[in-house]
Amino acid sequence: MSELVPRPSRRKIGLRIARAFLLTAAPGIFWLIIWFLTSMLLANFPNYQMLFSVLAWGLLFFTFAIALAEGTIYKYLLIIVRAFFLIAYLAYATNSGTLNINFENFTLTVEFVPLLALMIVINLLDIARGLLQAIEFAAQSPKD
Amino acid sequence: MTIKALGWIIALLWIITLILPISVVFSLMKLAEGKNMGIQEPIFSLSNGNLSLTIPFYINNTGFYDISEVSVKIKISKANTAITTLSKNLPNIPAGRMINASCNFSASLNEIFQRHSTLLTEDANLDVDAALHFRVAYAIAFNITQNFPTRWGAPFQNLTVYGVAYNNTANVFSFSISFNNHAFFPINEPLTIELYNSSGEKVSSALWSLDVPSGETFQELIEVKITDPSEMTRSGFIRLFFADLKIFEEEWALP
Repeated sequence: MSELVPRPSRRKIGLRIARAFLLTAAPGIFWLIIWFLTSMLLANFPNYQMLFSVLAWGLLFFTFAIALAEGTIYKYLLIIVRAFFLIAYLAYATNSGTLNINFENFTLTVEFVPLLALMIVINLLDIARGLLQAIEFAAQSPKD
Repeated sequence: MTIKALGWIIALLWIITLILPISVVFSLMKLAEGKNMGIQEPIFSLSNGNLSLTIPFYINNTGFYDISEVSVKIKISKANTAITTLSKNLPNIPAGRMINASCNFSASLNEIFQRHSTLLTEDANLDVDAALHFRVAYAIAFNITQNFPTRWGAPFQNLTVYGVAYNNTANVFSFSISFNNHAFFPINEPLTIELYNSSGEKVSSALWSLDVPSGETFQELIEVKITDPSEMTRSGFIRLFFADLKIFEEEWALP
């Protein structure tokens, strides 16, 4: 009986990883579509490819990790870390809400500080929600 | 319950955050299509020592959002030295409304040409930095800047004084002036003529009315009455002023 113990656990991990992959595939396709739609239009933004890749891969990593940590308190910790990552990365990648496109003798500057502020507020709310969910989870299942 | 409410608020805010920039782009595309914007021919004028530029325009805001903080800024420089900076704030354009307005710039000739007096007599290559700023939906601001070179046409290009003569009986000093008005504006300010003798004393001064359209050549014989003939010498120098700016100084000698 004791020899049988690791088997369901391994299967459980395998299933968990497969589920995480499946759950990550949908946002992966979404980011791919966004990339195809925006890469032509925003090709002139400096480092657009790099900035987009870091954001997309970062969020896909968090989606995978959160799916993998389903049913544990780490899920909520990862949600909080993801919100912090988004706040820091959006502020950095958008140059604090100001983007410049340079053509030959023509410069277009787009300033969207209010929109960036709204995104930061959303992520702060996400952190608050993550904390509440973690507290609720800890209160409900002390074993975890 | 609180967690659920927070979740809904977060979802709603993300939808707003994503829809806003997309709808702003569509709004600007709607505004840019057809004849929703237009600029009429600029009007240049020169009066009381001020150079004015009026650009009438219309905007029919067919977009979804109000356009605010509209401003235009023009900086003109020569060899990286600023000559003048003109800026104008324009009225807000509410969504679905059409506005007819004009962009008026005014600058004092003294201010412009004090440090660059050669611009009055010599054509030059200038650099123009033009910037248009506006905010859509009170949230997203756009700043479009363009720099381009432009050719400045001097209003007194090839300014020459020649044919100096003095009539002893009538006490009239005469000379001819010629120049080409290469400027984009007509010259209708008077020219101040100051005549000095060989000792550097002013022997006469006069105002000469000018009315030279843009692109025209001016050539005229000018006669100046000498009030005190005893101060008159056989040589000296002549100074010409335009809008209180010295544009010409040259020695003269009677034949």
